[in-house]
Amino acid sequence: MVAFFIWLAINFVKTPADTTNVFFIGLSNGCVYALVALGYTLVYGILELINFAHGDVFMLGGMISVSIAQSFGLSAGDAMLWPLVVVVLLLSMVACGAINTTIEAVAYRPLRSAPRLAPLITAIGVSFILEDVGLIWKGPNYVNFPDVMPHSNLVSFAGVNVQWDKVIMLSITVPVLLLLLYLVQETRQGKAMRATAQDMDASAIMGIDVNRTISFTFLIAGTLAGAAGLLYSLYFQTVRFDQGFQLGLIAFTAAVLGGIGNLPGAVLGALVIGLIQAFNEGLQWHAPGSDWTQSIVFSILILILVFRPEGLLGERTPEGG
Amino acid sequence: MSSENGSAPMGSGTAVKTAEAVLEVHDIHTYYGSIHALKGISLEVRAGEIVTLLGANGAGKTTTLRSINGLNRPRSGSIKFEGRDITQTPAHEIVRRGIAQSPEGRRLFPRMTVVENLEMGAFQRNDKAGIKEDMERVFGLFPRLAERKTQNAGTMSGGEQQMCAIGRALMARPKLLLLDEPSLGLAPIFVEKIFEIVKTINDEGVAILLVEQNALMALDHADRGYVLETGRIVLSDSAEALKTNEQVRKTYLGES
Ligand SMILES: Nc1ncnc2c1ncn2[C@@H]1O[C@H](COP(=O)(O)OP(=O)(O)OP(=O)(O)O)[C@@H](O)[C@H]1O
Ligand SMILES: [Mg+2]
Repeated sequence: MVAFFIWLAINFVKTPADTTNVFFIGLSNGCVYALVALGYTLVYGILELINFAHGDVFMLGGMISVSIAQSFGLSAGDAMLWPLVVVVLLLSMVACGAINTTIEAVAYRPLRSAPRLAPLITAIGVSFILEDVGLIWKGPNYVNFPDVMPHSNLVSFAGVNVQWDKVIMLSITVPVLLLLLYLVQETRQGKAMRATAQDMDASAIMGIDVNRTISFTFLIAGTLAGAAGLLYSLYFQTVRFDQGFQLGLIAFTAAVLGGIGNLPGAVLGALVIGLIQAFNEGLQWHAPGSDWTQSIVFSILILILVFRPEGLLGERTPEGG
Repeated sequence: MSSENGSAPMGSGTAVKTAEAVLEVHDIHTYYGSIHALKGISLEVRAGEIVTLLGANGAGKTTTLRSINGLNRPRSGSIKFEGRDITQTPAHEIVRRGIAQSPEGRRLFPRMTVVENLEMGAFQRNDKAGIKEDMERVFGLFPRLAERKTQNAGTMSGGEQQMCAIGRALMARPKLLLLDEPSLGLAPIFVEKIFEIVKTINDEGVAILLVEQNALMALDHADRGYVLETGRIVLSDSAEALKTNEQVRKTYLGES
């Protein structure tokens, strides 16, 4: 830990501008991870189910975004570009919300009282099905999203460049995250979610419609995945059927790192992973390089699980969650 | 735990009240998968009554309450509340109709505070002022809870949790209160207190269906009682009569 910060500090001293730029790259990657990680954590929190299909819902979000963006003919010079991007964002969110809710109703609800393993296996199955849907829909190759992100600098100072695309990523993610926190902490629906997560039967006899609450949770999780799907394609300009697995794994790790079931934890975990990845791949002085990213991320996860099994922000609960 | 009570017990519970039935359970059969847990239970609770449900472990007391509040739907038979059929009504609707429960094992929301738990009890209500009033009333009944308002329910003692579970049920402003072993695991002083409070709640007009291991206490406070055995009702009578019933004395009041 200390060594890490010393390493980071040395890098910063040697190449202050680069290090800062890399920091912003990490931050915007972390944002996409956070949106997906929240979906894992929301669903786990309420059903104790690792929804393996979640990453693939994100992937479908990317494909839906590409399709809509292409049919809108998005292009960089368009005066209506950003309003249209927002429309694509909303459509992707709605579509993924609907997909995720349907998955719950069809695949998980009938197994609600079955042993834990049953919905888990089902989730893996759904993941494969969605991947195949993506494969059949868009084929095995990368599909390109129109390159509309401005890469020019918003701020440029002493070699530190804050690029527009990073700012856009943050300015979409942050409000979505705040909205989510408000929803879960302050609203009646959020209260129902928290209660259902803690005790379903008790919630039902309080007057909470448990099925509806779980549906709603999947709706929110799907919506976030849809937002991530658009942001990812906007940012990286490519979409492929298997991107859900890769990013899903990272996002799931982020959720566990932060303390699965804990919303701020998922965001923190995602930012930590985004930053570590960026520092590892982007820094000059003694950075292990991108080949090592996965190993580093998972080593950190293992260390966290050994020394703090409840994750960074998870609570120590009697159930061990 | 032998009883020397031959004369009239404290409070009411002498004459069977003749008010109309609030709850009518008719011949319900409830299953857990293929396990036939209730084999034709019929019972009723009339307005203003305290009715107790006695029986050995596994007799089906909890299952009876779970059938009434909608958590375990009976496969056949019917349940009526205030004359309306609620057999197929989902659990979250039933509490709106006026049935609240303090369930077996208390089932508080462990990571919510006492106040939040009580608020959950009033989840289906919209009358802010009334909720606030009821919260004060609960704190009046259980001063102990008032001292622990911001403590997470999961970290409270068993007795405190039991108070919180009863308080939470009261927050629904129920017409019928289902209590599943409210005295389980409590020190005698708490048991006394809980029964006193049950009585107070009942005096305010709430009908009560009370499941208890502590048969003596239950019969002391109830108007009527039913005795369950392996999913069937084998006895039903006024609390008075049950207390002097030989079979009951042998099995539940620890006499030989
Ligand atoms: N979830 C369940 N799955 C399978 N069988 C169950 C389940 N819950 C209860 N049973 C069975 O149903 C029967 C009735 O159980 P119930 O919990 O209603 O008994 P009880 O009278 O409340 O007992 P206790 O005094 O121990 O609380 C028992 O035979 C029990 O084993
Ligand atoms: Mg029981």
